[in-house]
Amino acid sequence: MSEQVKQRYRPGSLEILAVLLVVVVVAQRWILSAFSNPALQTASTIFVSIVVQALPFLVLGVLLSGAISAFVPTSFWQRALPKNRALAVPVAGAAGFVLPGCECASVPVASSLMSRGVAPAAALAFLLSSPAINPIVLVSTFVAFPGVPMMAVGRLLASFVTAVLMGWLWLRFGKSNWLKVGPREHLMGSSKWHTFRLTAAHDFLHAGGFLVIGGLTAAALNVAIPSDWLQAVADRPVLAILFLALLAVALSICSEADAFVAASLTQFSLTARLAFLVVGPMVDIKLISLQTGFFGRRFAWRFAPATFVVAVLVSVIVGWALLT
Amino acid sequence: MGVVDMRRDVQAIILVLIGGAILRISLTDVYLNYVKQGMQPYLIASGCILVLLGVLALIDIFRKHAKSEDEHGHHGPRSAWLLLLPVFAIFLIAPPALGAYSAQRNSTNGTQPSTTAPPLPAGDPVPVLVSSFVTRAVWDDGLTLVDRNVEMTGFVTPDPAGGWWLTRLAISCCAADAIVSKIKTLGTSDLPANTWVTVVGHWVPGGGTKSESAVPLVDITSLTEVAQPKNPYE
Repeated sequence: MSEQVKQRYRPGSLEILAVLLVVVVVAQRWILSAFSNPALQTASTIFVSIVVQALPFLVLGVLLSGAISAFVPTSFWQRALPKNRALAVPVAGAAGFVLPGCECASVPVASSLMSRGVAPAAALAFLLSSPAINPIVLVSTFVAFPGVPMMAVGRLLASFVTAVLMGWLWLRFGKSNWLKVGPREHLMGSSKWHTFRLTAAHDFLHAGGFLVIGGLTAAALNVAIPSDWLQAVADRPVLAILFLALLAVALSICSEADAFVAASLTQFSLTARLAFLVVGPMVDIKLISLQTGFFGRRFAWRFAPATFVVAVLVSVIVGWALLT
Repeated sequence: MGVVDMRRDVQAIILVLIGGAILRISLTDVYLNYVKQGMQPYLIASGCILVLLGVLALIDIFRKHAKSEDEHGHHGPRSAWLLLLPVFAIFLIAPPALGAYSAQRNSTNGTQPSTTAPPLPAGDPVPVLVSSFVTRAVWDDGLTLVDRNVEMTGFVTPDPAGGWWLTRLAISCCAADAIVSKIKTLGTSDLPANTWVTVVGHWVPGGGTKSESAVPLVDITSLTEVAQPKNPYE
């Protein structure tokens, strides 16, 4: 590589980084005055706080995915999960209950599960269930709705059913060429520790960029949606459910916190708020962005809308049965 | 291979930068503008892990050069460039805690409590959270506030109808889920938005009850301008 450089100079990424840093430092005064606008300032606070809140969970997720790639032999998964794929889906979905993870952590973990030979349908059921039904999320839901214990029960039930249904749908209709499971040979290091390190760093850089896109979008929407619209929408039952489901997609709040936000949306029916809680950890802008990065656009464009529809339908049924 | 494909050395530098940015806000109180206090150990740990991953990757590169090994073009994900945005935001802009702009945009005030609030502790004036004052006034008809002098700290949000609200935001996870609590102040002159004040006053009826949009009233007897508290959220 160094000989090539001697032959013909081409600016590389290091030079671009250096130039970028110099430009930003020189233009600092101009950037700061642009950000004294209160709307931009609020959006930048929300952007930074979403990224800062999600980062520790993302780091945890990439450490887990690195550990799965480096230390857990492929044979373990063949023994741990039932041979029958249709049966493996609910087992993997239930495993989400044991492994607490934020949605940002579950994407790299599901991706490394697939590259270790776990059936995609089972890995997807795990991807959807682990951020939605882990103990931390259920306890926070229970705390946020003190008068309505059925909210936490409904959330557990609706999220688990949605995850399993999506796994089975993938089994029946999914095509493997929609799914991009990156070959990871180049992440094989000289030792297990080295592999672990390479995988974790690679997954973090990959997912981090998509987390940033999600954070930017959520911050922009947070500042752009006038809150007075909410009351008008809340008075129409069907519209209210759809609206809260879409709001969950737009706001991209982490699953540990969304119960408190749902609790504050008191104008809306309990069923609409259940839909908000079921959709949020499974489909949101930050997640769609992460899934696009890990599994490819062909996958994300099909999987996210399908999950949205299934999650809303299941929430309506569970809400009708438990919360009215 | 385009110039935007990231070389290993640049990947390592970005890991160090983002880890450094997280450490910079979590080793001081700045992180409290964005997330809850309980996040601090996790932020410090993840900042250290990222810096470590970056430094180890840099060491890899130097070793390889020393052994003049042929390095194949392992180019990293393009999306990683975006990680520079939070780095720049933290080091250059350092966004402040949410304030009057968010409070003005939000028409709901506080949250409906599940139980009746207990009587206020002894004290004259007795320190009360802005959010607690709002729930006591709005959802308990002000019963626990009658004839009590209260002391509260919050910031100024101008009321478009004139005067200002004593305001405080509460976050349950990060600033994206902030919930506003505001109280209309009586007996005060106008102050600039986002001024932090500690006030002593008492509740007066008339702000409306049993509604998410009711804004209770407080008659202010003394007011001191203060610095923003260490934790700007309640």
